[in-house]
Amino acid sequence: MLGIYHILSQSQKELFSLTHATANTMDPLVEELKVKLIHLLNLADVTPASFDENAQLVGGELGIDSIDVLEMVVMIEKDYGVVINNQDLGEKVFTSLTSLAGYIRAHSSTAGS
Amino acid sequence: MNTSRVFIAGLGLISPLGRGQAATLAALRDNSCAIRPLELFPLLKGETLPVGQTELAEDAAATTPRTHRLALLAAREAMAGQHAPPDAIVLGTTTGGILTSEHLLRSGDMRPEAYRRHGLTTVAEFLAQELSCHGPCLTVSTACSSGALAIAIARRMLQAGLARRVLAGGADALCRLTYFGFHSLQLVDRGGCHPLDRDRQGMAVAEGAALLLLTSERLPWPLAEVAGMGLSCDAHHAAAPHPEGDGACRAMQAALADAGLPPAAIDYINLHGTGTPENDLAEAKAIRRLFAVPPPLSSVKGASGHSLAAAGAIEAGVAALAIGHGLLPANTGLRSSDPALGLAPLDTPRDAPVTAVLSNSFGFGGNNAALVLTAPGLAALPPATAKAQAQEFFAVHGTACLSGAGDTATTLERLAHGESVAGQAEATVLEKNLPPRLIRRLQRLPRLALALASAVSGIPRAIFFGSGWGGQTETWNFLTRLNESEEQFPSPTDFVGSVHNAPAGQVAMHLGATGANVTCSGGDASFAQALFCAALLVDDTADPVLVLGADEGHPRFTPLLEPSLRAAGPLSDGGGALLLSRRREGARCLVSRPRFLPHDTELTDVTELTALTAGCAVILAGLPAADRERDEARLGRLLAALSRPLPLIRYRAYTGEFASASALAAVLAVSWLRAGHIPGPLLDGPDLPLTGSTARILLLDLGKMPNATLFVLP
Repeated sequence: MLGIYHILSQSQKELFSLTHATANTMDPLVEELKVKLIHLLNLADVTPASFDENAQLVGGELGIDSIDVLEMVVMIEKDYGVVINNQDLGEKVFTSLTSLAGYIRAHSSTAGS
Repeated sequence: MNTSRVFIAGLGLISPLGRGQAATLAALRDNSCAIRPLELFPLLKGETLPVGQTELAEDAAATTPRTHRLALLAAREAMAGQHAPPDAIVLGTTTGGILTSEHLLRSGDMRPEAYRRHGLTTVAEFLAQELSCHGPCLTVSTACSSGALAIAIARRMLQAGLARRVLAGGADALCRLTYFGFHSLQLVDRGGCHPLDRDRQGMAVAEGAALLLLTSERLPWPLAEVAGMGLSCDAHHAAAPHPEGDGACRAMQAALADAGLPPAAIDYINLHGTGTPENDLAEAKAIRRLFAVPPPLSSVKGASGHSLAAAGAIEAGVAALAIGHGLLPANTGLRSSDPALGLAPLDTPRDAPVTAVLSNSFGFGGNNAALVLTAPGLAALPPATAKAQAQEFFAVHGTACLSGAGDTATTLERLAHGESVAGQAEATVLEKNLPPRLIRRLQRLPRLALALASAVSGIPRAIFFGSGWGGQTETWNFLTRLNESEEQFPSPTDFVGSVHNAPAGQVAMHLGATGANVTCSGGDASFAQALFCAALLVDDTADPVLVLGADEGHPRFTPLLEPSLRAAGPLSDGGGALLLSRRREGARCLVSRPRFLPHDTELTDVTELTALTAGCAVILAGLPAADRERDEARLGRLLAALSRPLPLIRYRAYTGEFASASALAAVLAVSWLRAGHIPGPLLDGPDLPLTGSTARILLLDLGKMPNATLFVLP
């Protein structure tokens, strides 16, 4: 098989061989986002424990792409009332789960802080 | 092979630019912009965005959906002065009756008869009925390349001598699905549409229709000639173009080769030019690779917006008008050309002789179509390179099917005992061989398609997909969430998945199939139409192609849409796939190009059908439950006309009722030919041998668009 199949199976192998740094302190918003994203993006082979909040979120191991980013944009507006509609801004916000949580916390009136 | 020229004998169009050739031409000469804030339907909490709306007044009481009415307006103009209906219709559409269905679903109207014009095929059927056309009516749906693809297929039908006059084009109405769908992808420019502009921010969703009466007959004053076409697939991403414009470049190259013209012969390029940053950049890169010095070029979407499936046909019409009237249309909406593109779009309309136009159309799923239109007689007639198109038979090199029973082996095993395979396979059956990451965003139909494609060994170059209803889960989920969130949170994932060609795009990406990627949605004839298109578009030199048909059963949507399910349950789905090529060595069997029989008639003349049964051991008959009474009468007439009794299997009694059940039946035909017999329990007798001169099966599908396909041992 070609293309995506190859890349995906490769990335899966790498994913499972990764040693995950354990978070020193649990950020409740990060933990909440992990659960939401696993469900929203149907990341069936990811668990909150294996979801590295500092790893590259988009274009990284998880295979998250531009359509997923847009889906996350909608969810963040719906659940946190935070609007992200500028592409350059989006790229920074979605660098990692940690950066996403930070952006939501800075701009939301409802997210726990 | 008939390499005859393809002339435009008539052109009808309605777009935001105006209704009819004269109004369109005037708008192009004026360089006027028709993009305005949406008025067509009221919004709840949704944002009012600029769109391209036609002048057709919306009539809430009309039972004929808007796409159908737009298509008819264009068809009437194209057929003006013609004394006979066209031999065939090829229509591209992505919306069908969805605007009407949106109203119905929102108001909780769950009467199935109200949804009878939901399906894409109903637009072509409506035209056929209004124009009294009883020939083949093909519906293609490849998102924003649909209209150009329809014209490309019509060109091949005429060249192959399968018709002398074909009405081809595209139609799409504005609707919530596309309005909110493109917005959810952040592809809509709130400030109008400015293709190729440095500050362009996206497209304007629009509507319209254009139909071209194409003919291989000599005409005294043809408007122009459709001299070439090229198709390709990026096999890169579901919604974004290949960043270097690889697929776009190959489609343009193929169109020029088909026309027998060098790039330097083109004196105007009508760009796809949607105004999204990515599209315009990829297209510009592709053009700069192909043209040492690009000719004058422009996108008219800054004036009209993007009318999706209609766009390719409208712009073929614009190209014909440019040739006929010596006009180079401007790139309306351009403020400051983007230096990164390296192009010099026309900033004002220009009067100049135009003899050859390249018109680009690219769509979701990486679907690319390019057309070359010329002044009549410009290009030399191409040599008869495509002999294979006259070849009636394909060689079958691989098969796979899915039924309510499960995979191919399970399905065949059950049928060998005369047991039903109706129903729906468990999700785990579909997912068995598919990587979780590959399918995490995909609903049931693309999973069915990928499961079928993965089960066929061999890497195809081109994909031909037939589906009666497309991704119902994605459409249902999109509209449900849109309504529940009062239009605030439409899902981009559901929207991308809702286009009918999404499954074929996924298959192309998975297999790296960069050739033509065609999705047909012709109701119960969807698979036959896909096979027919493959037979037209695949030449001798091509690698294998995959022809597949699949439909999903959605517990809530399908009972509203599928009349045959209401007539005979249970909810069933599945499909079948054939890996085909022109190479006969090692073939499992041969399959003919489907023959379309006159539709919307009682089929009183069965001469052609009787001839097709010659030498056949059995007829596999598809009688959709919705029309069973009429079809039993048709079948009775055929059987009575035969000189010898012929065993008959009404295969839907075993497969269940779903639009692409014929794809599953096709796989059964191949499997039984290979096994050398048909299981006796299906015929209430002993096994029926299929050897020597009797190794021949006729797949006969009745219903709205009757067709017949032969399967024979080589």
